[in-house]
Amino acid sequence: MTRLHPFTLLTIAGALPALAWILPAPSGGLAMATLALGLTASRGLRPGLWPAVLTAAPFWLFLLLLHDVPTTIAIGLRITTMVASFVWLVAALEPARLVEAMVAAGWSASVAYLFAATLTAVPMLKARAQRIAEAQRCRGLSPRGGIASRLRALRALALPLVLSALHEVDERALALETRGLRPGIRRTTLAPPHDPVVERTARWVLLLACPAALIWRLL
Amino acid sequence: MKSLTLEHASFWYPATEAPALRDVSLEVAQGEIVALVGALGAGASTLLLVAADLAPRVTGGRLTGAVARRDRGGIVLPTPWTQASGMAFTVWDEVAFGPANLGWPAHEITRQVDRALEQLELVPLASRDPATLSGGELQRVIIAAILAMDPGLLLFDEPATELDAAGAQMVWRLMRRLAGEGKAILLATSALDAVPDVADRVVWLEDGAVRAVGAPDLLADVAVCEAGLGTSVATVWRASGLPGPYPPTVAHAVRRWR
Amino acid sequence: MSIRLLALIPVAAAISLALSAAVDAVALPLFLDTTGTILATALAGPAVGIATGVVTSAVNTLRNPTFWPFVVVQVIVALYAWGAARAGLFRSFRTAVPVGLALGVIAAVTSTPISYLVFGCTTTGGIALTTALGKALGLSPLGACFFGSFVSDFGDKAVTFALVTSVLHALPRRTAARFPWALRAIGVA
Repeated sequence: MTRLHPFTLLTIAGALPALAWILPAPSGGLAMATLALGLTASRGLRPGLWPAVLTAAPFWLFLLLLHDVPTTIAIGLRITTMVASFVWLVAALEPARLVEAMVAAGWSASVAYLFAATLTAVPMLKARAQRIAEAQRCRGLSPRGGIASRLRALRALALPLVLSALHEVDERALALETRGLRPGIRRTTLAPPHDPVVERTARWVLLLACPAALIWRLL
Repeated sequence: MKSLTLEHASFWYPATEAPALRDVSLEVAQGEIVALVGALGAGASTLLLVAADLAPRVTGGRLTGAVARRDRGGIVLPTPWTQASGMAFTVWDEVAFGPANLGWPAHEITRQVDRALEQLELVPLASRDPATLSGGELQRVIIAAILAMDPGLLLFDEPATELDAAGAQMVWRLMRRLAGEGKAILLATSALDAVPDVADRVVWLEDGAVRAVGAPDLLADVAVCEAGLGTSVATVWRASGLPGPYPPTVAHAVRRWR
Repeated sequence: MSIRLLALIPVAAAISLALSAAVDAVALPLFLDTTGTILATALAGPAVGIATGVVTSAVNTLRNPTFWPFVVVQVIVALYAWGAARAGLFRSFRTAVPVGLALGVIAAVTSTPISYLVFGCTTTGGIALTTALGKALGLSPLGACFFGSFVSDFGDKAVTFALVTSVLHALPRRTAARFPWALRAIGVA
């Protein structure tokens, strides 16, 4: 499954929830949800199916609270499809392969950079947020007290985090520039993912199936 | 042959009254290592950015005077984690990032990357995720990443800050080898004790202007020592009241005693 | 787009995503997931802001798939912040907080249809419960859903606007001058 082309993985993860919404409930949703859950299960029960079920379960609970049973089933199946598709996508998609696929397909290197760099920046900023929170706790800042003191505590946490991150933007820009990342460059792809005709056709079929299903439902 | 020439260069950062560089004239020849020393804020980092054609192009601001470059430049900045591309998930890919952006053919990229990894003793780390590396390891990766682009002019801003003693020694030795291969190197460093063994010339910057230029024994000069920029040996010699001229290195001191 | 603005977008998006850690530490019921979008717009204009919003949603979706339909809200927040920056409304808390509250209403109005149609108002536990409360109070299903989104969005956007204002004013003038919109947003330029 991981050897599929990254665009194929993205297409499947996008088409299944879309079809779950377009096709008539509850059978359409049930079919798509089964497919999506099947995909997650293909990665193993513990790492794949269980997280999908755990993430989807609360929605069913709240749906039951707010709606009658048929509506709950209809919406619940759609949400389950969406959750399961993305859980599978996150597990199956390798960011490095996606970057190579985007560059090989002629996408601007800048676009690939935006997503990849955010992925790598988030854990770093989160770790820094933890450190700032710990430092502030040592200074006596605690999440107790009224709204005003909590907001002040939030400011004491968020401000250093954001300011230090903004200060780094300059350095990042300098580093990117010196490494040759400029708008409009033609980057060499070192390991473009294999993209057999079968997969390309399957992607188009899936992509066209969505508006086709929509038209069929409207008629 | 001159790789980099600055003539009467002055530079102002955006929205700043005081110039960060004042009337700086400097030359770096191919095969030469020039070290910039100065107090914090003296303008060494700015000078490197101007040399790298990043100031004012990327930083904004105003540059007067003339800057002439013969070769492509590559700059290594002090903080490694902001220099990581963010797009590479292995060390090998990180080092290959620059050459790939230059559009080189794949076999050429592979050759340059493998060579750079060897030079920085990074081969065992080649498949590691850069996000899991220590500061010192990442700094070596960044240096390799710049080297892999094969620039003729190398600019280092405090390259040894994150490195331990062994790592720093390796980098100094590497610089001498690179100079031997014909690269021009401009280096800003506060590791003053290493400078006499690494640099061919030393430039003392103060408040954005060149205060003095000379051979590395400049770091044993009285005025330099008074400014706190002397080598440890010279500083101790001076502090113990022994007569000048002060020896810049242990070897010089031993010769004086004999 | 200049390289500095390109470098800003992932940082701004990561700010939005990392602030969730800060919010947990003070135990406030906020998201702050539009902080980066609003900040990026106030610093560099609508194109950068919209790009930040899209990237934030995309990466957030990897963590929680239910965020993707709300990318529309991020885009609208960016456009709104553009208007606020143009008018220099980040110049003080007195202007920024009411503007943030107004955004809370707009964000709730935008997210309600998405929440209703896609999730049946169960986007989060909090929204589901406040929707149930709304229904119990006799509101229509859509009205109850709006009530649910509104309660969480109202305070969240006001706090976000206040935070962005603090950041803009805390930036040294030299650094702010390097971002095309920053000084205008705080009413200086």
